[in-house]
Amino acid sequence: MKKLIEFRNIVKKFGGQVVLKGINLDIYENEFVTLLGPSGCGKTTLLRILGGFLEQDEGSVVFNGEEISDVPAYKRPINTVFQKYALFPHLNVYENIAFGLKIKKMDKELIEPKVTKMLELVGLAGFEDRDVTLLSGGQQQRVAIARALVNEPDVLLLDEPLSALDAKLRKEMQQELKRIQQEVGITFIFVTHDQEEALTMSDKIVVMKEGHIEQIGTPTEIYNEPANKYVATFVGQSNIIDGTMIEDYKVNFDGKDFECVDYDFKKNQPVDVIIRPEDIEIKKKSKGKMNGQIMSCLFKGVHYEVIVETKRGAAKNIKLHVLGDQDVFNKEANEKMSASDFKMDIEDVESISDQDLILRSNAQAWDADSEEEIAINEVEHNIVDKAGNYQITFKTAKGTCIKINVEVVLPKVNEDSEEKIGIQAFDVYKSIDEIKESMAISVDLRNWADAYAWDLETENEVKIDDVRFDFDPMEIKEGVYDVTFVTEGRTYKIHTTEKQNEGDIVSIDFGPDDIHVMEKMIA
Amino acid sequence: MVWALILIVIPMLIMIFYAFTTEGNDLIQVKVSLNNFIRFFQDPIFLNVLLRSVILALVTTLICILIGYPAAYFIAQADFNKQAVLVLLMTAPQFINMLVRTYAWRGILLNTDFSAELKVYIGMVYNFLPFMILQIYTSLSKLDTSLINAAYDLGCDKKTAFLKVTLPLSVPGIISGITLVFLPAVSSFFIPKLLGGGSFVLVGNLIENYFVTTGDWNFGAAVSLVMTIVILISMYFTRKFDYDKEAR
Repeated sequence: MKKLIEFRNIVKKFGGQVVLKGINLDIYENEFVTLLGPSGCGKTTLLRILGGFLEQDEGSVVFNGEEISDVPAYKRPINTVFQKYALFPHLNVYENIAFGLKIKKMDKELIEPKVTKMLELVGLAGFEDRDVTLLSGGQQQRVAIARALVNEPDVLLLDEPLSALDAKLRKEMQQELKRIQQEVGITFIFVTHDQEEALTMSDKIVVMKEGHIEQIGTPTEIYNEPANKYVATFVGQSNIIDGTMIEDYKVNFDGKDFECVDYDFKKNQPVDVIIRPEDIEIKKKSKGKMNGQIMSCLFKGVHYEVIVETKRGAAKNIKLHVLGDQDVFNKEANEKMSASDFKMDIEDVESISDQDLILRSNAQAWDADSEEEIAINEVEHNIVDKAGNYQITFKTAKGTCIKINVEVVLPKVNEDSEEKIGIQAFDVYKSIDEIKESMAISVDLRNWADAYAWDLETENEVKIDDVRFDFDPMEIKEGVYDVTFVTEGRTYKIHTTEKQNEGDIVSIDFGPDDIHVMEKMIA
Repeated sequence: MVWALILIVIPMLIMIFYAFTTEGNDLIQVKVSLNNFIRFFQDPIFLNVLLRSVILALVTTLICILIGYPAAYFIAQADFNKQAVLVLLMTAPQFINMLVRTYAWRGILLNTDFSAELKVYIGMVYNFLPFMILQIYTSLSKLDTSLINAAYDLGCDKKTAFLKVTLPLSVPGIISGITLVFLPAVSSFFIPKLLGGGSFVLVGNLIENYFVTTGDWNFGAAVSLVMTIVILISMYFTRKFDYDKEAR
C-alpha cells in the first residue's frame, strides 16, 4: 500500500495550552483509520489541521509526497463530514450535494447523474427536492456523506459523525459507512470517542491521549495487545491488577506466580497485568488457577457478566451507641450543656489534652435563650495509662457542669492473617442530632470510629471500601447499632455464556497468552 | 385587547371617517364623498410628493444595506468580547433623542454647500443605520461557522463562500432590517423638515401641514390613509420575500 498522508511532528497550541504534542502518523491509501480518544485528546484538532481549517504551530503535513501545510482548505483533495453535518439550510438535498461540483463549474448535465448516483449510494434515492432541515438525523448524515463524496476526494474526514444519532441508528450507520468506504475505495479518517465504533469499522486505530498517540494498531492488536493500562481501559473492559515481573515469561500477582508470554522487563519491575473478561474461564472448584466466590451474575444480552471474588476484603465490626437528649440545664446561669461518653485507645492517653477531650466527647455549652456558644474553661478527669472506666467533668465559668464516662481500651485490631490485612476501629457514641445532621454518614462514621486498614506486610494504607450499617440516619432512635468497615477484596469480571449461581465457589482459569503485562503508566 | 381597541382601532375609524367626508361636517350632518382622494390623485404635485417619499425611503434603505452589511460583518467577525463593545458603541447614540440628534446634524450641516437633498439623506441614513446593522449582525452571529468551513471544504474560496453561503443565510436579517428602516423612513417628516428646510416636502410633511397648519383634517386624513396603504403593500412584499426564503 502507498503512503498517502504523513504527519511529521505536529504541535498545536491554543493560548498557552499544548493540544498536540508532536504527532507522527502515517496513513495509507484505502485505509479506514480511526482516531480514538476522550474529548480533549486532540483528535479533532489533528483532523482539522488535515482539512486545512487550522494551521499547526510546528511540524508538517505531507500529502502524496508533497507538503500541503500552506495549501488552503478549498484546494485540498480532502472532504469533510462535519460533526453536526453542517448542511446548507437554504439549499435542498440536490443543491447541497451538487454544491461542490457547481463551485468547480461542472456542467449541469454532468452534475445530475453524479448526484443521483450518490443518493443511491447513501440510500436516499428520490430525496432530491427534500428540504434538508426537515430530514431526520440519519438522513442528514447521509446527505452530508454524499455531499462530501460526490467531489471524489482522495480522503474523507469524518468528525464524530455518529455522535448525534441514537444507538440503533448508530449501529446501522457504522455498517453503512464501512460499506461505503469499501465501495468507493478511498481513505476514510474517522474521529470518535466510542471504542465500539472504532473496533467495528477500522482497519487501523490510533489511540490518543492528551495530545499524543498511545498506540497505533489494528483493532485486534489494540484489543488483544494494548500497549498500556490507558489503552486497555479505553478499549474494551478489563481486569487490571498490580503485579511484578519476576523474570521473562513469569509475572507475579495476587500472591502467585503465573506463566505469561511477555518479556523484556527489568527484574521485579512493577507492572500492570490486564486480563480481558472474556479470556477468563469459570471451572469447578480447584480446577483452575484461583478459587473464588460468585458475587453476581448479570445477563448482558449475548453473555453473562459474572463477578468472582477471589480474595475477601477484611472487615471490622463496631457498635454505634446512639444517645438521647442528655442536656444539662443550669437555671441560675441560664446555660445548657451536653457531652457524650466515648472510648479511647490506650495509646492516645499519654498525649491527650483537654481540648482533645472536649472534641472527642463533643462537649458543648450554650445560652439557653440565645443559643450562643459558651466556652468550657475547666476539664477535670482521672484518666490514667491503664485500661478501665474513668470520668470527665466539663465546667463553664458560671459553674454549669456535665459528667461523662470514658472507657480506655486496648487497641482491638482484626488481623486477617490469610488476607494479610489489618483493620481497626472504635465504638462510637453519638447523639441522635449528630447523626441526623451528618451530611455523609459513611464518611463521618469512618472518622468518628477512627477506622483504618493497612497491609500487614508493607504497612501501606488499604482503602476502606464499604461502610455497612442497617439503620436510616434520618429515622434513628436511641440504642446500639452494628457498623462494619470492609476493605476491598480482589474481584474478577468475567464474560461467559453460562449462567452462574450467586454464592457458588468456583475456580477461574486463564492461559499464559490471556495475561497481558504492560509497563506502569507514569501519571 | 381593550387598550388595542381604544388606542388603535377607534382612532383608525375616526381617521377613515374624516378621510371620506368633507369639511364642515359634524356627527349630525355627514356628507360622505371621495373628494379628498380625487383631489390627491388628480394633482401631480401631491403624487410627486408621494413618489419622492417612496424614493427617499428606498434610497435610504439601500444605503443602509450597503454601509450596514459590511459593518455588521466586521462586528460579527471580531472577537466575542469586542463584539459586545462594538454593538454598544453603535447603539449608544440611540440613547439620545432622535430630535436632538437631528438638530445636532443641522448645526453640523448648516455651513456646508450640500444640497437640501443630500443633507436629508445624511440625516436619514445616520438615524436608521443602527437598526439595519443590528438586524444583519444578529443573523450573521447566529450563523454556524461549520457551514462556512463546509463551504471551504467543498471548494469555495473566501469570496464564493461568502456569496454562496454567508450572504444567502443572512437574507432574513436584511429583510427585517429593511422593514425596520423603510417603514419609518417613508413616513418621516421632521428629519426632512429640519435638514431640508421648507424646500424638501414629503408625505409626512404634507400630513403634518394639513393637520397642524391649515387645519384641513379631512384632506390630511385622506393623505394618511394613502400612506398607510403604501406601507401595507410594501410590508406585504417584504414578508412574502422573507417567507419564500425561509420556506427553502
